[in-house]
Amino acid sequence: MKTPQKIPQKLDLYQQHKADYAATRKPALVNLPKARYLAITGQGAPGGDLFQTRIGALYGVAFTVKMTRKFAGLQDYAVCKLEAQWWSDAPGENFARSPKEQWRWKLLIRTPDFISADDVKQAVAVLLKRGKGEDVKRVQLETLAEGRCVQMLHVGPYEKEHETVAVMKAFAELQGLRFHGRHHEIYLSDPRRVPPERLKTILRIPVIAR
Amino acid sequence: MRPVTLQDYKRRMLRVLVHVQQHLDDPLDLGALARVACFSPYHFHRIFRGMVGESVQEHIRRLRLERAASWLKLTPRPVTRIALDSGYESHEAFSRSFRASFGVSPSHFRASRNPCAMAAAPSGLHYLEGEPLIRFKTRRPDGKVMNVTIKRMQPLRVAFMRHVGPYSEVGATWDQFLPQLGKDGWIGGDALFLGICHDDPEVTSPDKIRYDACVTVGPGFQPIGDIGVQVIAGGDYAVITHFGPYNKLGDTYAKWLGQRLPRSGRELRSAPCFEVYLNDPGGTDPADLITDLYAPLEPKSVAPKPRPSLKRT
Repeated sequence: MKTPQKIPQKLDLYQQHKADYAATRKPALVNLPKARYLAITGQGAPGGDLFQTRIGALYGVAFTVKMTRKFAGLQDYAVCKLEAQWWSDAPGENFARSPKEQWRWKLLIRTPDFISADDVKQAVAVLLKRGKGEDVKRVQLETLAEGRCVQMLHVGPYEKEHETVAVMKAFAELQGLRFHGRHHEIYLSDPRRVPPERLKTILRIPVIAR
Repeated sequence: MRPVTLQDYKRRMLRVLVHVQQHLDDPLDLGALARVACFSPYHFHRIFRGMVGESVQEHIRRLRLERAASWLKLTPRPVTRIALDSGYESHEAFSRSFRASFGVSPSHFRASRNPCAMAAAPSGLHYLEGEPLIRFKTRRPDGKVMNVTIKRMQPLRVAFMRHVGPYSEVGATWDQFLPQLGKDGWIGGDALFLGICHDDPEVTSPDKIRYDACVTVGPGFQPIGDIGVQVIAGGDYAVITHFGPYNKLGDTYAKWLGQRLPRSGRELRSAPCFEVYLNDPGGTDPADLITDLYAPLEPKSVAPKPRPSLKRT
């Protein structure tokens, strides 16, 4: 009724790459093509000050890049949902065993291939001019090539992801595969309003042959 | 001062209902009706719909038709006269409306033996010739949980673009507004996207509905072109979250402001409600849209403190 509405010809990457985001409560193998993202890295507990500031910086750049193009009458697209990779410097494949303060993360927003590094640079410059904080300078374009991954939908609080990861791990082992790469998650629900037990998150972990 | 109760709301709404029954031949505009019961014109239409179960406009139209039905039965007046006396410009328009409510044409109704001169009404309120209305039944909240939180807000400085026209077209205003604002770096990652509706779509004709598309901005932003600046007053707000499509927002407002709020002990402040859009309708399934609705409240009435008794020594 009241707000921005879907306009035709708007590019929705999530719809376009449906197969990449297919996930159910059962683990599955997916093969992911290269994908481009706006990205910003950091270290610390999820939901901490730095984490929140950097989410803000990432979204600021994502909005500004999109709106600049739209103003110029170029191909419009929807800003995708937030995603993140998680890892730690400690040995072993399970970052979650380290204290949260040591977790490293890369926040990601999937972005169309037609967005260039210059577009990002220009957006960062105007945001800096408006005093939106120095963190925007850390936002970069990045391409991920994750290839073969185990993917599964996790429903529930983030703290219980280990249960879903255990299912994914057992599934990988049955196929003669092992985890090899950063834990990746795609946030389908808004944790500000959706109760923890109903949060939906796609978990994605790259695998290779054992 | 004591907290307002459901009884207060009912008493005031009853004044409106009686006034409507006694002035069916008058224009009955929304602002005047709101004044009859000291309701803020910003919220009156939603409180009415929530409490009575139909919009003010539907209520008035239905009572006029029920009165017409009783005239058809009890007087020899020609149908065309009755149509004109009921506020219709033509026999045809009256017949169409009448048939929609009573299932038969006016002349058929007049000829039938045992017609019921009452149209279906969720409120159970009907036209009563010469009998004053002394009570009515309010719609009760359904069993669904509505989580209301009270937030004390700082004033919000927003850049806005005014939309005048049907609600269904506000998307075009957003599509014009956001790129202009965003290309200059005014939309930070912490920006709130909010909408202020100044008019009631049930009363105001679609081409005249005013809606402000707003984005929170810092003090550095100055009005430019079609983009203005306004400050949304701080203070207490009752907030609930609406999950789902925007075209159901009106129902949520009515249930909330007409059924829950009168039972909460708080009273609405005379300022418009606003809504905060938490996700982008461009890439979101309507069923997954999340919107926070903010209703401004009068400051809480504080019960007088008991005077400390003087200790005798």
